[in-house]
Formats: sequence, structure tokens, C-alpha cells
Amino acid sequence: MSSIDRRPPVRRYEHGSRVPGWDEAVDLTKPPATVPDPALTPVPEELRAAIEAEMAKYPDRKSASIPALHLAQRHHGWCSPEAIKQVACVMRLTPAYLTSVASFYDMFYLQPKPKHDVYVCTNITCSLLGADELYERMCEAAEGHDISVRGFECLGACDIGPMASVDGEYVGPLNLDDPKLIVEDIEAGRPVLEHKQLRRRAVADAKGRVDDFDGIAPVGQEGN
Amino acid sequence: MPRPEQKIIKLTIDGREVEAVQGTMLVDAAKAADVEIPYFCYEPKLGQPVGACRMCLVEIEGIPKLQTSCSTPVRDGMVVNTQVQRVKDAQNSVVEFLLVNHPLDCPVCDKGGECPLQDITFGWGKGRSRVIEPKRHFVKPLALSPLIAIDRERCILCYRCVRFSQEVAEDWQLIFTERGSHTFVGTHDGHPYVAPFSGNIIELCPVGALTSQPYRFRARPWDIEGAGGVCTLCPAQCNVEFTVRDDKVLRVLSRENPGVDDGWLCDKGRFAYQAIHVDERITTPLVRDGSGELRPASWEEAITAAGALGQHQGSVGALVGGQASNEEAFLIGRLLREGLASADIDSRPHGTVELGLTRALAAPKLQATVQDIEFAHTVLVLGTEPLDDAPILDLRIRKGVRRHGVKLAIASARPSALDPNAQLSIRYAPGAVVEFLSGLEWALTAPGSGETHELAQLLRDGGEDVVILWGESLPPAALAILLRIAEKLGLAEREGAGLLEIPAGANARGIREAGALPNAGPGYADTTTGRDAAEIAAATAAGDIRALYLFGVDPLRDLGARAEWQAALARAELVVAHAGVLTEGIAAHADVVFPAESSAEKEGTIVHPDGRLQRLRVAIKHPGQVRAGWQVIGELAKAVGLDLHVLTAGMAFKQLVAAVPFYAGLTLEQIGGRGVRWPETEAAAAMPAGTPAAQVAVTDVASGPRPEVNGHLAAGTYRSIWASPEVEISPALKFTVAEQLVELAPEDAARLGIEHGSTVQVAQNGTRLSGRAVIRTGVPAGSVFLATGIAKDSANALDELMVEVVKSR
Amino acid sequence: MPHLLFDRIDEPGLNTIPVYERRGGYSALRKALQMPPEAIVEELSQSGIRGRGGAGFKMGQKASFLPKGEMAKYLTCNADESEPGTFKDRELMQKSPHTLIEGIIITTYATGIHHAFIYIRGEYQLQADILDAAVAEAEAAGYLGENILGSGHSLKLVVHRGAGAYICGEETGLLDSLEGKRGNPRLKPPFPAIEGLYAGPTLVNNVETLGTVPTIINMGGADYAKIGTEGSTGTKLISVSGDVQRPGNYEIELGISSREIIYGLCGGPKPGRTVKMWFPGGSSSPVLLEQDLDLSYDFDTLAKAGSMLGSGAIIVVDDSHSAFEVMQKVVKFYAHESCGKCVPCREGTNWTNKFLARIEAGESTPMDLDILASVQSQIIGNCLCVLGDAMAMPVGSIVAKFRDELEAEIEAARERANALPLTDTEDLLALSAH
Ligand SMILES: Cc1cc2nc3c(=O)[nH]c(=O)nc-3n(C[C@H](O)[C@H](O)[C@H](O)COP(=O)(O)O)c2cc1C
Ligand code: SF4
Ligand code: SF4
Ligand code: FES
Ligand code: FES
Repeated sequence: MSSIDRRPPVRRYEHGSRVPGWDEAVDLTKPPATVPDPALTPVPEELRAAIEAEMAKYPDRKSASIPALHLAQRHHGWCSPEAIKQVACVMRLTPAYLTSVASFYDMFYLQPKPKHDVYVCTNITCSLLGADELYERMCEAAEGHDISVRGFECLGACDIGPMASVDGEYVGPLNLDDPKLIVEDIEAGRPVLEHKQLRRRAVADAKGRVDDFDGIAPVGQEGN
Repeated sequence: MPRPEQKIIKLTIDGREVEAVQGTMLVDAAKAADVEIPYFCYEPKLGQPVGACRMCLVEIEGIPKLQTSCSTPVRDGMVVNTQVQRVKDAQNSVVEFLLVNHPLDCPVCDKGGECPLQDITFGWGKGRSRVIEPKRHFVKPLALSPLIAIDRERCILCYRCVRFSQEVAEDWQLIFTERGSHTFVGTHDGHPYVAPFSGNIIELCPVGALTSQPYRFRARPWDIEGAGGVCTLCPAQCNVEFTVRDDKVLRVLSRENPGVDDGWLCDKGRFAYQAIHVDERITTPLVRDGSGELRPASWEEAITAAGALGQHQGSVGALVGGQASNEEAFLIGRLLREGLASADIDSRPHGTVELGLTRALAAPKLQATVQDIEFAHTVLVLGTEPLDDAPILDLRIRKGVRRHGVKLAIASARPSALDPNAQLSIRYAPGAVVEFLSGLEWALTAPGSGETHELAQLLRDGGEDVVILWGESLPPAALAILLRIAEKLGLAEREGAGLLEIPAGANARGIREAGALPNAGPGYADTTTGRDAAEIAAATAAGDIRALYLFGVDPLRDLGARAEWQAALARAELVVAHAGVLTEGIAAHADVVFPAESSAEKEGTIVHPDGRLQRLRVAIKHPGQVRAGWQVIGELAKAVGLDLHVLTAGMAFKQLVAAVPFYAGLTLEQIGGRGVRWPETEAAAAMPAGTPAAQVAVTDVASGPRPEVNGHLAAGTYRSIWASPEVEISPALKFTVAEQLVELAPEDAARLGIEHGSTVQVAQNGTRLSGRAVIRTGVPAGSVFLATGIAKDSANALDELMVEVVKSR
Repeated sequence: MPHLLFDRIDEPGLNTIPVYERRGGYSALRKALQMPPEAIVEELSQSGIRGRGGAGFKMGQKASFLPKGEMAKYLTCNADESEPGTFKDRELMQKSPHTLIEGIIITTYATGIHHAFIYIRGEYQLQADILDAAVAEAEAAGYLGENILGSGHSLKLVVHRGAGAYICGEETGLLDSLEGKRGNPRLKPPFPAIEGLYAGPTLVNNVETLGTVPTIINMGGADYAKIGTEGSTGTKLISVSGDVQRPGNYEIELGISSREIIYGLCGGPKPGRTVKMWFPGGSSSPVLLEQDLDLSYDFDTLAKAGSMLGSGAIIVVDDSHSAFEVMQKVVKFYAHESCGKCVPCREGTNWTNKFLARIEAGESTPMDLDILASVQSQIIGNCLCVLGDAMAMPVGSIVAKFRDELEAEIEAARERANALPLTDTEDLLALSAH
């Protein structure tokens, strides 16, 4: 196994599952998990309203399941069984339906997780440019902080590889000293690595650029 | 909804021209032409093909890539190759891939010998594997539910089980979690997969991943035989195959019959076979001795004791339970009318229906079939909960809505499991169904607004093919209105439209046709009118009737008016019963008990609610001293001085056919394994005509639920799918035995300070029942629903509508 | 060469309507609304534009497959952009979201669609927020909503965020995901144009494809077709990354030489390094070599060379990296992203992944490369969607083109393993006996 498998990005069970329970029998004392009865399932009012607003956007309410799970994850910190049950109650679906959906997508956590998310891209381009070591450094730097570090597939920013998404903010190219700074920025509640944020980068194509752009030059074109 | 037309086309498979119905999937067309294409995930019963396993790839000329034959409908002129090298390579590949993670633990696998994966690996695999990498490992086997064990290593992720849960039962409890090769079958947060139809996934699984807890390791395929039969635990009468080893039923499988069950079974039908071989079952005759104890007796003793019925000529009341066969019901009618000079025989738990009306409602042209449900424009479910009363029809209704766009309407007092699928769900107050139907009849002709009018409009303008499923518990007054509504909608005039009664007893229809009614003889013939069940109770309690003959009925369990029946049973001088289990009333009051047959032992015929005669056949020998029902009735008749002339079950059938004009000409061979719907036969013309419904002036009446009155709630009743003695004594089903669940509206529960799951008392005129509160959104405020048919605290102890519900201290 | 999409895209404020309009934005929409819908489809056909998402299917033709008439039809813009190496849609959506929105409005007008979705990958939070704001702005300006600019055309546009799954870029996986399910691809036929979202006819197009529509309307299809080559008209946004000195997004005219892109625009590998291999169209495309650099960068030439233009994402690998390392990254990605629905892909990617682990552990022999290659060929063509092929084709090409190097790698790994005590083997045996 290659080095980056040593530290599992997300808590995984022996065969690789993120979902607890694969190696346990069901709990026969629990009732079957049917569509939760609204009278028996309290849902925080703002969460309910937000989910209902999402449902209203689509011809079929089920379409709102991913947006609703995002909302619930934000509200509860992770897609806990309780969070899923609340979404199920508002959407009139079974909790199992939503568990099935949530476990398909990488951004949903079915286990409690630290508050902050750092996705380090370890896909082809980034790894050609040193992402594996960066990932290890990031893990070390995050040790003891309320930060989850995951190796992620291509995040769609190979132009700034090796890169990471820090609570959604794309930063790169990162060097091996950056993980420490990222952690500091997170802890201080500051924007992360402002001078490396993708949102401020100019396009690489020369004809795309303008003189009054006040961002950062494209990678490799800092001189121009 | 018109059923699709069938057009025959020609195609070439492996160089041979074959015919097929246009639109058939290639894999099926090939099978019909004796070309076997292997497959795992394809199962048309589950809906659209998913194309997941890739086992069924074939070459179709003109298409560069191999195609999945499970998802390719045949077209005229199609040229298909299944034997070319490309196809073989693909098949080899898929088999090799399937085994990458499969444990190949066949020697210890319960599926061994009847496993599609074994067969296909042998038939279409290369015979060797190049995989030496470690496989994925799971702890195994694990409980998925009390009934099902799961072995995740063996799972090939074919989607069958999860599709069943999601697209057939629509319970959405069984899911795939995770993605890619991490995917596994599971449930939400460790909840068990407990649902009324869960057992079907065992049969669907093409590997040994899902196995039946009760059947695991009880037999190998070469130890067993299959015997066709019919389940008689409810009126749906699903076709089954008993797995028999050494004259023991070890398992029940479905035996697909599109006209009946579509190949599914509910868990009661699948697992309650255990009741056949448990100690609780009575397998010898019992006679009450001088000290008042029921003790085992010889047949001679028992028949002699029961023969004392003959001393009560003209004063015997008989009740026939829903599991009786047509022949048994017919012979009991003869015994009573010819041998005991009594007309007091009944099989209806909910009161007599006037004969003209009975005939009109049973008229051949007015009968909807099970398949009509699937293709109707509109289905109205009236006063019944299919999930409880005929579970498999719940699946058929869902299928109609899901696949064919059937518009579903529900009209009931109690919320229904089908409400989420319905276009319209109307709640009337418990006991107000007559008012509701009057309102509906009114709305069919008069303009107006409100849900009753919406329903009227749906029935009238939503397409001509309307099927109304109605529950037998509708009071007789409601039936007259129902008949008028059917006439107004012209249901008798359309092939695909009609009424379908969901009776209380499994063979209620056949029993009535065989003449077990107080006001009709065999074939709904006119007869001297006797007393119905309620009148028998009253007359017995009053001493007018001195002896009771109970064939598969325990009035304290199965009928209402519990107090009256208690008095009747106590007063009766002689109570003779046929029973499989000593339920309360039988245990306390029967003087003679004959051991009853199970449906796996019985020979005879029964009638499905849609008029289909079906055959029960002998799958196993009678255990213990049990004897055939027809034989016992014959011996009893002899003991009272009547020779019924039945020496075989076949002779009983012949007598029945001779007595029921609309069965004329039917033979057991014709009925065979699939059954025959008599309303479709020529003899149906011999059915006596009903009395047309009297036209009355109708007015609009309120029938909606009303809030509590002085703290009292209107009580409706229900009989859970799990309320049956067979369930109670089946070890595997112990976890789900029905108890008194008191269903309350959230508003009422809050007002009464009752918490979900807490113990409550239901009181009426000094009678108190204890039960567990279930707060259920959808129960209208002011209504409460109580269970009947259960062993303890049954709501049949309550005689009036209004009850008080209080917290238990 | 004209710059049609990237021209001064960095202009501050271009993501807002005032700046976008000042630069001529929404004029194509005004023009289009004066045209009969069929005429727009005709312009699209004439332009010859091929889909920019990966498959390269002609856009005009796809739009014409959609049944005519009033019914619930949908447009879904594929902004999932998860193919490794691809990041062009990101730049367009972030900096000029109205280009996409304008393209969507015109396309829906042309096809009689009143409900459109942008399915954007969940990781693109910034871009999704920008799109949300732009949609709100367009609604306020009357470009979205009922009776757009008095034309009678109405459109509801919803930005839908995904949650991290590559397979949701596959158009039918996307539709299932948008319906709120697991993003498993569907069997085709039926194709989305006949039965797609909510079982209604659905047009699925890439961000760049739809973003080019306003240009085509402004220029006229015939003039657009003059750019590029005959089979590959127009300009293309390409994402270049890996071992090049100036990585990033570029707009090129289709048909220029690949060398001009990799060396000319992007500066090639670091001095002293040479191109060892390159993926011309994302990680799913079979690799090409240094000797292929003079191939014209267009759909047909790359297909003829045994690879594909795909999403227009070039990943350059220089000679400092081993072929094994590249292959392993590719395989890990696809094994992680296989949706698991169909057997050859689920088990094939997973098996290949374990296979490479075995090579790395020094547990295999050069002969095993034959099995590796054969496993790839067993995947190709047998899967439900092409994700399986998307691993098997590049892996197959690497095994074929770097056989000697891989054999040497296997030998080296064996030596490494022998230098250590055989604990790894025992682990492996212990695991398989478990
Ligand atoms: C595994 C897989 C992933 C894909 N990912 C994307 C994607 O991220 N973005 C995209 O536009 N197309 C993607 N596609 C292609 C789409 O299926 C589809 O062809 C495309 O969205 C059509 O749009 P176009 O015709 O405008 O290119 C992917 C295809 C496959 C098989
Ligand atoms: S458990 Fe059985 S039926 Fe379910 S997916 Fe696995 S193999 Fe198929
Ligand atoms: S090829 Fe892979 S991604 Fe596509 S359906 Fe099959 S398993 Fe899913
Ligand atoms: S490979 Fe890292 S962002 Fe694409
Ligand atoms: S049976 Fe056709 S793909 Fe599974």
C-alpha cells in the first residue's frame, strides 16, 4: 500500500466502510425505521424551514435530498442518525433512503467529525507535484486541532496544484510549510493563505487578462 | 387503462428464426425459444431492468457494443448471437469479476445446490480464477431481522433485494450504503429490516447472502421436495410451494400466479407454516371429562361425544370459520340442514346481508379481478386496509399506481398504509360509513365541492375502469348504497371495472357459495331462513339453541359481541369444535375438539374473493391423529344418523359442483395449479340474479370525523396482519404477534397527557381494555383505533362506539 | 485567433450584469428571442459545435432529438467538472457566470424548456455562490422567470450543488443525483433526450458548450464553423496541468498542434526534463507520448491516434515520474469513484487496485502484466457506463506503452521485498486466510 493509505482520510472500518454497522447485526430491539411520524420527531424550526425551501425548488421533493443533507450536516456537524431522521421527517422519506444517499457522496459524514475541513487533493496532477508529502504534513499540522484532513480526489484546481480546499476555500500551490500556516489561519478565524487563494488568481491565458486586475498572477507567470 | 396489445414478431437467435411478443425482453424471448442466457439482476417482477450484473450480454447485429439482453426489447428482424466468442468472453469475464470478492464458501452455504451463482459459474465461467488478491471480509452471518440472516461476503450486489424494498413493497428500509466495491446492503442505523413483506428478499437473492433464519441449515436441496399449495391465512390466497422434508413443512416459497399474487408472499404466509409443527397445535381429538378438563381421546370417543348433537335436533347453531374449504362448508350445511334439522348456520362475522343484495354484489359481471386493480383507471379502497386484510393486494395496488398510473382513492375511518400513494384519502368518522356512502351517492349526481365531490368526480370522470375494493366489515346498510353506486358508475358493464370484496375469512366467498349462510343454500339458492351469528349468540344465551358446532371459529376471538358470546358458550349444553389451537373460547367451553388440518394437509377447493376456484392439495401427511375435515364431518353426520356419501375428498367436490349451478362442469383437473375463475365460465349464467338496488332519494349527509365529545373518542377497529393464532404459535414470528395498540391522534394524546408507547386503558360501560398507545399522525382528532382478533384485550369486548382513553397509573 | 469565451475574462465585475451588459452581454439573447426557436437549433447545428464535456457529441443534433411541443422538458447544465485535470468550467462560471446563464436561456428558448438546472459539484462552493447571485440578478433583471423580455418564454433556473462523486458527471448518474438519489448511471436507451430527468425529455450539456451558445448566435453558426477544423469547429477551453511551467486554462482554436499548447502556451516541462507521457483529454484518455506532440489538437486526430480529446484537459508527465506511479493514481481514482452498480467496473477497478498493491509489495512477476492487461480488456465494452472503460483504457495504454519499465519496476519491487523479511507476504496470507 502506498504511503498515503497509512492515515485513513475518514474513519473507516476494517473493510473500508465509512458507515458503522457493517460488522454488526442489527439491533433487534429497535423498531423498523419507517418514515418518521411528525408528531414524534422534533425538528429545529430553522432547519425545517430551510429544507422546505429547498423542496419547493424542485418538481419532485426528493430532489432536495442532497441540499437537505448539506443543511442538516451544517446544523448538526455531521449526518448523525438524528439529523437524518429529521430530514426524513420533513421530506417524508425513510431515514434509510437518506442514509443510502448520504453514504454515496464523499462530502457527507456519517461519523462525527472535527469542525473544520481540509481536503488535500492527492489526485494525479497534484501528486505529480508533491501532494502526498503535503498531505502527510497537513495531517501532522492538524494533529490536536479541531480539523479534519482528508485526501481528496481531483478538486478541479490542478492549475494551482498541489492544492487544498480549506473549509471550501481553494488555496495553492502549497509548499510543505503551508500546512502550519493553514492551521494558524483556521485557529485565528482568518481567511486562509490569502496570497494563495484561487478566487484571486488571474487566468493563465494572456488574452483573458486585464490591466486593472488586482489579484494574483497565474502560476508560472509571476514575472509577467 | 387498456391493457397493452400483443403483437407477434420474428427475430433470429443463433441462426434460428423464432417468434416473440413485441416488446418482450430479449432474454425472455430467448428462453421461450430454448436459448438460455444467464442473468442475475433481471427480474421483471421488480420493475424496469437495471442492467447491473452484465451477465446477460449478447451480440446484436448492427450494434457495435454487446447489449444487455435483459433490457433490450425484441424487434422484428433482430439478429442476435449468444454463442459467439465475444459473448463467451464477456460471460467468462463477468463470472470472474463476480468471484473477485466472493468467498466461495459453498460447502457451508445454505444456498448450495439451489444457487444461481453456482449454476452460472459452472455453466458460463472459465472454471478457474486468476484472483489471488485478498478478498473483502465481513463478519458473518449477521441478523438483518429476526427472520433474515445476511452474509455480506456472498452478496453480488445485484440490486434485487433493495429494489424489492424500494420498488415493490415501497417500504424503503433496505438500502445500499457506500459506493463502489465498498457498497453493502444494510438499513438505517442498525434498525432491523422488519416489514410485512420482508421475506421475499430471501427468495429473490441469487446467492446465499440472504437466508431464512428459520430455514437455515434445516435441509439440503436434495433432501427436500416441493409441493404446490395455497395459503389460507387470509383471503388473498397466495399460491405457495411447500418445501417438505420427511413430511414436515420446512419452508414456504411463492408459486407465482399473476392472477393471484404476482409471485410475492407476506411474512405471515411465508413463516407461519411453523404453526404446523409446534406443540401448541392440537393433533388428537379432545373431550371434556367429568372434572371439566379437556383431555385427549380416541376418535371413536370423540365422535360419539359429538354425536350427541343429534339429540338437539332443531336446536343446533353452526358457525363456519374462514379457513374451511368449500367442501367442508358444503358438508356442514348438509349436516345441519339435513341431519340436525337446523337452518342456523352462518359464516359472516358482520351480520346478515339480504339474499337479493348478496346475489347482486356477487354477480359475475360485477366482479373485478385482481389484475383489474393493476390496469384500472381508478381504484377506490373502501373501508378496508389491504395491508392487514389481504396483504398481497396492497402490493398489487402499489404496482398499479407505480407502473400503470392508476389513480388511487382511499375512503376509510382509519389512516391507511396506502395514503401516501393515493390521490385522495378521505376519512369518515368511525361508524359513519353509511353516511359517507350516502354523501358519495349524492355527490355522483349533484354538483358541489369538498372531498366527497372530488372523489365522485374521480370515479365518474377519471376513466371508466373503476375498481372498488370493499371490506366485508361494511354494515349491510352500506352495501345497498355501494350497489347503487356501482350501478351509477356502470361497473357491471365494463370488463376491467367492478367490485372486489375483501372478506374477513380466507375462503369466505367459497364458504358462502357452498351455502354456509342462514339465508341461502349452496349456490345462493333460496332456503329456509335460519339465524345468523349474532342471533345464534342471543338464542344460545337465552337457551333457545342448546348446542353449538364451531368449525374453525372461536367466537370470543373472531366475532364481536364478546359478552353475549361468553354467555352463550357458558349456557350451551354441548359445544363441538374443530380447532388447530386451543384459543380462549375453545379451551374454556368446547366439550369436544376435533384437531383441524392445516392447509398443507388439506385436500379440497377454496374460492378467491375474485371468484377463482383454487385447489388445496396434500403436501404432507396429517401429523398425529389429525384426520381430514370432510371425513370427520362425514363420521359426525353418521353419528347423528345421516349418510353424506363421501368417501373421498373428490366425492365431496362432486357433490358440491352438483349443488352449485354456477360451478357446473368444473373438474379438479381444470382448476389445476392456477385456478379457474368461475365468473368467466359459461356456467356463470346460472348464478341467480340479484335484486336490483332499490332507488331511494339521497341527500347530502355529514360523515367526517368529529372531535371528542365530553372526553369520549369514537372507536374504530382494525385486525392486524399479525393477529392470528398461527402467528402466535410460530416461534419465528413471536416478535411480531399483534397486541392491543391504541392508535391516537397527536392532538388527543396531548390533551390526555398520553405518551407514545405508554400503557393506556380504554373504557366503556365498565369494560376496560389495556393497550399500548401509538400516536399516529393522520388519525383524525376524536377518533381512536383499537385492535381486534388478538388473544388479549381485544376490542371485540366493546359494543358501543364511544370510548374513554386514560393513562394507566 | 479569436478569443470567444476568455477574452478579458479577468475584468473586475464581469460576474455582474452591468459589466457583462456593457461588454455586449445578453445581446445574443435579445437577438435569439426575435428568431423562431427552430432557427436557433439550426444555427447550433450549422456551427458544428461538439459537446465540451467529454463525449464530443454534436450539440445541435442532441437538441434536435428533443421531442417538440409542450410537455415537461428539462435542461441540465453539467457543471460537475470532476474529470481529473479538468478545471475550465470553473474559470468560466466564476468569472463570467452570465455567459452560461445567457446560453442556458437561449437554449431553453430554442427547445421549449421551462425548467433548467445547473448541477455543480459540491466542492465548487465559491462558483456555486457566484452562480446563485448571478441567477438572482438575472431574475431581477427579467432575464429569468416569467415571460422573459416580453417573449413569452419562461424559465426557472436552479443551481443544484452536488456532494462529491465523480460519477455524477456522467449524464445519467447526474440525473439520478439531481432526482435526489444515489448517482448511479442509468441504462441507455432510453437516452436523456427522450426520457431523462423526472422521466421527461432532458437536454444535458456541459458548461462550456452552453456558454458558447451566445457566441454562436452573435456570430452565426456558419461563421463559427469557420473556426477550427472541419470536424472540430470553434475554440476550446483547455486545462493544462502537471509538469508544465505555465499550467492553467487557455482558449485555443481547435486544430493547433499539441506541441504548441504544451510547449508554446505552457512552457513545457521544467528545463532539463522531457515529456514522458501526456493525457490529452483528462485522466480517462489513453496516454500519448513525446512523439505524439505534433498531433493536431482536435477530436478526430486524437481519436485516430487511439486517444481522445475528452474534456480538453491535458496532463503532462515528465521523465522524473515512473509510469507505475501514474498508473496507480489513475487506478485509485477510478476504484474510489466507481459507483458500484455494474460488475465489471466495480470489481475490475477494485481488482486492478489490489493488483497494483501486489506489484508494489513485490508480490508479482512480470507475467502478471498480461493478466493486468487482460483484466482491462475484460472491462472495456462490458460496463453500464464508461467509467470502467475510463480506467481500463489509460491503464491499458500505459501497460502497452511502458511494458519494459513496468517489468523493471516489478523486478525492483521484488528485490525490495526480498531485502526485507517476508512479513508483507505473511500479512497477505494472514489476510486471505481470515
Ligand atoms: C464518468 C464520466 C464523467 C463525466 N464527467 C463529466 C463532467 O464532469 N462534466 C461534463 O460536462 N461532462 C462529463 N461527462 C460527460 C457527460 O456524460 C455528457 O456527455 C456531457 O455532459 C454532455 O455534455 P456535452 O455534450 O455538452 O459535452 C462525464 C462522462 C462520464 C462517463
Ligand atoms: S443480498 Fe442478495 S439480493 Fe441483495 S444485492 Fe446482495 S446478492 Fe443481490
Ligand atoms: S461502469 Fe462503473 S460507474 Fe459506470 S455504472 Fe458501472 S460501476 Fe457504475
Ligand atoms: S489533481 Fe489536484 S486539483 Fe486536480
Ligand atoms: S441480467 Fe442483464 S444486466 Fe443483469
